[in-house]
Amino acid sequence: MTIVIRHIIRFLIIGLLQVLIFNQIEVPWGVQFMPYPLFIFLLPIELGVVYLLLIAFGFGMFIDALSDTFGLHTSALLAFAYFKPMFFKLFSPRDGYESSVENSYSDLGLGWLIRTYGLLLLIHHFWFFMMESFKVNDILFTLQKTALSFVASFILSMVLQFLLISKSSKE
Amino acid sequence: MRNFLAFIRRFRILLVFAFLQAIVLSTYFTFKEFPRSQYLTSASEINGQILTARNEVTKHFNLAKNNRNLQKENIRLRNKLPQSFVRLENGLVKIEDTLFQQQYEYVPATLIKSTHTKRNNYFTLDVGKAQGVDRGMGVFSDKGIIGVIHYSSEHFSVVKSVLTENINIDVMIEGSGQFGLLKWNGHDPRKGTMWGVSNDSDVKLWSKVVTRGGGGIFPRGLTIGKVSAKKPVEGEPLWDIEVLYSEDYRSVQRVYVIKNLLKKEQEELEARIPADPIE
Repeated sequence: MTIVIRHIIRFLIIGLLQVLIFNQIEVPWGVQFMPYPLFIFLLPIELGVVYLLLIAFGFGMFIDALSDTFGLHTSALLAFAYFKPMFFKLFSPRDGYESSVENSYSDLGLGWLIRTYGLLLLIHHFWFFMMESFKVNDILFTLQKTALSFVASFILSMVLQFLLISKSSKE
Repeated sequence: MRNFLAFIRRFRILLVFAFLQAIVLSTYFTFKEFPRSQYLTSASEINGQILTARNEVTKHFNLAKNNRNLQKENIRLRNKLPQSFVRLENGLVKIEDTLFQQQYEYVPATLIKSTHTKRNNYFTLDVGKAQGVDRGMGVFSDKGIIGVIHYSSEHFSVVKSVLTENINIDVMIEGSGQFGLLKWNGHDPRKGTMWGVSNDSDVKLWSKVVTRGGGGIFPRGLTIGKVSAKKPVEGEPLWDIEVLYSEDYRSVQRVYVIKNLLKKEQEELEARIPADPIE
C-alpha cells in the first residue's frame, strides 16, 4: 500500500511543480521545461503496459487542463509510456531487474539512466514539438526547440529525481 | 471470430495506445481551431481557482512597470475630463446627446495566466459571464490589442491571444488604408506578420498598423504596432510585412474587454448578403 501512496504523492508533487512553476518559466529560443515524464518513468517495472498508458493518459490530462494545451502534453506522454517497456527491455541489466528496485540513479546507475530516460525524453520532446507546430517547413525551429528543451528538461529531471528518491527512501 | 480475438490480444497495447492517441489528438485539433466544450481548460472553475491563487503570488513581479503604465493612462484620461477643459461658451446645456450613441463598452480585467514561448499562447482573464464577457469579444491593453475571447465560464475567460497561429485580426496600415490579416509565426513574441497586402502598393516602413474594425470585434483604429520590415512573398503578389508590436506581451497584466453593443445589428445586416452562386 505504501508504494501506491508514494506514487500518488509523486503525481501531485511533479504535476503541481510542472504546472505552477516550470510552465511559468519563460525562456527565449523556444526552451520549455518539461520534466514531468519523470513520474511515468518512476512507476514500477512490473506494472502492465495498459495500466501504464491509462495512468499516462490521466496524468497528461491533469497537466493539459492547467496549461491550456488541449491534449498536447497527453499525446506526447502516451508516446513516452508506450516506448518505456521496450526501452527497459532493450537496456536491461545482465541479470534483469530486481523487483524491489527504483528506476533511479542510485539503484541502476547514470549510464543506464541516460540511455533509457534520455532517449524516452527525446522522443517525448520531439513528439510534443512536432504536434505543436505540425508543419514540415518549420522543422529546423522544431529541432532547435526539441534539442534545447531536452537538455533543460533532462537536467531538471535529474535534480527532481535526486530530491524525490532520497526523500522516499528515508521514510 | 477467434482470429479476431487473437488479433486483439496480440496487438492489445498498440490498440490501447492508438485509441488514447485518437481521443487526445482529436480534442487537441478541434480545440485549436474552435472550442466545443469547456472542461479540461483553465477557464473551468477549479483550475481557475488554482491559477488565481498563483497570480496572487506572481502579480507583483512586474508591479513597478505596470503601475507606471497605469499612471500614464490615468494622465491621458484625466486630460480628457471636462474639468481639464476651459469653457469657451457659456449657456449651453447638454440635455441628451442625439449625435453620438455609445457603441463600445469596456470591462476591466486582469491577466491571471499568460505565456509567450509556446506556438499557440492562450491567456486567462479573471472575468467571465458574470461580468457579461462572452465568446468573440476583443481584448486590448493601453498599448495594443491582446486577442479575442475564446470561451468563458462563469468567472474566468480564456483569450486566444495575438501570439497564436490563426488569430487573423482585421488590420490596416494607418494613412494609406491597405488592409490585411494579422498572423504570428511562432518565433518572436515582439513581432507579428501582416498578410494580404498586394505588392504593387507602397508600404512605408515605420507606419502605424491599427485595427480596421471590420469584424465588429475591435473598434477602428486601436494600435497594434509598426511596420518594421517588408519583403516580397515568393510565388505570390503579396508583401510579407513584419509588424513590431507596441505591447510587450511578456509583461502585460491590466487589460480591457470590449463589448460591442451594435454587433448584433451589424451581423444581422451582413447575414442578408446573398450567397455567391458560383461557390
